[in-house]
Amino acid sequence: MYPPKIGYVIPDSVTEALEFLEKHDDAKPLAGGHSLIPMLKLRLLRPSYLVEIRRLQELKYLRKDGAQYSIGALSTHYEISKANIPLLSETASKIGDPQVRNMGTIGGSISHLDPSADYPAALIVLDAKVKVVGTKGERVVDFASFAKDMFTPDLNQGELVKEVLINDYSGYKYSYQKLERRAGDFAIVGVAVLLKVDGEEIKDARIGLTAVNTKAVRATEAENVLKDKICEKTIEVASDLAVKYANPTSDIRGTAEYKKKVTKVMTKRAILTALGKR
Amino acid sequence: MNEVKVYEKDQKVKIHFKVNGQDVEYETEPRKLLVHALRELGFTGVHIGCDTSNCGACTVIMNGKSVKSCTVLAVEADGSEILTVEGLAKDGKLHPIQEAFWEKHALQCGYCTPGMIMEAYWLLKEKPDPTEEEIREGISGNLCRCTGYQNIVEAVKLASQKLRLGQTPYQRQ
Repeated sequence: MYPPKIGYVIPDSVTEALEFLEKHDDAKPLAGGHSLIPMLKLRLLRPSYLVEIRRLQELKYLRKDGAQYSIGALSTHYEISKANIPLLSETASKIGDPQVRNMGTIGGSISHLDPSADYPAALIVLDAKVKVVGTKGERVVDFASFAKDMFTPDLNQGELVKEVLINDYSGYKYSYQKLERRAGDFAIVGVAVLLKVDGEEIKDARIGLTAVNTKAVRATEAENVLKDKICEKTIEVASDLAVKYANPTSDIRGTAEYKKKVTKVMTKRAILTALGKR
Repeated sequence: MNEVKVYEKDQKVKIHFKVNGQDVEYETEPRKLLVHALRELGFTGVHIGCDTSNCGACTVIMNGKSVKSCTVLAVEADGSEILTVEGLAKDGKLHPIQEAFWEKHALQCGYCTPGMIMEAYWLLKEKPDPTEEEIREGISGNLCRCTGYQNIVEAVKLASQKLRLGQTPYQRQ
């Protein structure tokens, strides 16, 4: 399979890339390319130009300033998996396969916003923010509102994701549990759990679900139930409640009914793993 | 400020890269995939399997990291260093990973083997002494339809020993 005939642009800076993207509404930025190139091969997209941003050093960084991580858009899943960022590094290590993680980037992934992608589950529980850059300047939006709908990020023509901002949740317990049909596949359901535990009590609980809606969602009722003494019953009730937030569609990865059932199983597994009880 | 470099869809782009240590100059349309470019250049050890980033038969090392060359454009490889399976053997002597694949009979039809070996190369660079689980996770992006993976896992274990000991117990003369 070949990509369609396509123009190619090699900018020397983010500014050059943004200017070109603003003037050409059917041009597409090329980062790791691990969603874009397969889509080109399948003719799901026919952009006029690809704008190569993958090698722009300006967007390639990963640093911690005080209690906040700034993750440049071109950080690969591999780099993030090695960065010891609570929850996010674990999530990155479960994306695709090693070769995909060597090329795929966080900026590319969240600009594409596949409803089955792994990052969104973690990003919504981490209250991540997204810094977007355009020719007229930068703006910062909550990831939850940045992800408007499936394949629909809050990006205007001529804008790029510059970085993802995440607070340091070092004191929290966490787990990302992904059920996949076969190694390297997209999630049937993915559950990210972040818990603040004080002795025998859960003080803060956050549960994010991916792949069972058009975008990642927080299971707030389940979270509220969990904020209590740690016990089998509340974990069971919370896992049941998480299913209310799953509205999956039947596809090759399973029927809607099956996906709802495994949403419960994976939520429970994520909570127990986070608590070290598994 | 320089003008941004724009190539039209029928325009050829001249790229320079290193393949197995040799400088290569190549002219390509923007849409051409790296796997096709490498095969045209004679590196036919790089196989085209699924064409959909699943099977890993096209795995090569680009700037030190394993990538699926069916999901990288040739133009993206400009300025990079590529290592293919052809670059592993030195002076007529197989690389320890290749030896291990031979000794453990880690192939049947052989189609996945170059990609499997290149992924093992990257895995062992990352984790010189991997556990069996790490090996299985490490080659999860490479599909083999013949072996059932058992002998491949054994071969990667043996290769890890050979590389760590810096010696090759079985040498072909």
